Amino acid sequence: MVRLLICLCAVAVAAAATAKPIAFAEGTTVMAEYGAGTMQELQIFYAPRFDYSVGAGHVDFASDVDGHREHISYARLNWLAHRWNLDDAQANIFIWGGAGSATGDRFDGTRAAGNAGFQADYETRRVYASMKSDLQRSSEFSDRIDTLQLGIAPYKHDYGGLATWLVLQGRHYTGELHSGIETAALLRLFKGGAWIEAGVTNAGKVQAMAMFNF
Amino acid sequence: MKRFQFLLAAALLAVAASSTAATIEMTVNGLVCAFCAQGIEKKLKKFPATAEVVVNLEHRLVAVALKDGQDIADADLRKALTDAGYTVKSISRSETPIADVRERLKQVQP
Repeated sequence: MVRLLICLCAVAVAAAATAKPIAFAEGTTVMAEYGAGTMQELQIFYAPRFDYSVGAGHVDFASDVDGHREHISYARLNWLAHRWNLDDAQANIFIWGGAGSATGDRFDGTRAAGNAGFQADYETRRVYASMKSDLQRSSEFSDRIDTLQLGIAPYKHDYGGLATWLVLQGRHYTGELHSGIETAALLRLFKGGAWIEAGVTNAGKVQAMAMFNF
Repeated sequence: MKRFQFLLAAALLAVAASSTAATIEMTVNGLVCAFCAQGIEKKLKKFPATAEVVVNLEHRLVAVALKDGQDIADADLRKALTDAGYTVKSISRSETPIADVRERLKQVQP
């Protein structure tokens, strides 16, 4: 476990990119992520207030260990447990949980599924760090994805301008989805309410994400 | 006499209206990303008195241009920013047109 944490820290030397599950009060967030063929997820959340959002998502897992697949649809509540508004920085702790249903090729029919997770992040206009853990569980499987990201912006962007971030990511999957730690180098761009991010993993696979806030 | 009083009252009202601040400037903590700015802008534009909103991350500044003769109470501004998830450090008012505020911010960009 210590080795895993050391590896993740070593991997995370450059950028930011775990999107927040709550963008702003009375805002809608749509996110789509392609996780190197192992994970694909689509989410939509609406935040009635700045400190919580509700919505739904769908995630497909495809193991690159034994090829098994799982498909989970869920409803979720995201809660901003705490925020620190500092002079030139912001830090947050998010917690979420939800329920849904799952199918897969290692079991017949549909199973009830639950999900839970948290994210801790710290951000200035030049540096970003986040740690996220997301668990999907049913009677047939338990899949958790732990993601660590660190980002650096080559310049300070301002509102209305294009923001550019260089990101390094370390990711660990449980549930026999992937063996070892997957690392990725990513380029993140956002302007206005649109965010796109793309890069490659250490296995040469594509990872990409798009997010829209409105 | 009544007509004189009416005109006097109208004149006083006009003077009061013209003395209302043209621009409110707020220093805000936690303002580090465009999404923060987007949420704040959306919130402040809901005030009927708001003519325009300028958000500048470099100076942690949120400026609100007011419509002629209108104002927004400090308490309402603080609540709006707090409800948007941010911390207001200071609020100041001036007659400076929003265009001049924008120009000033451009000139002092690093």
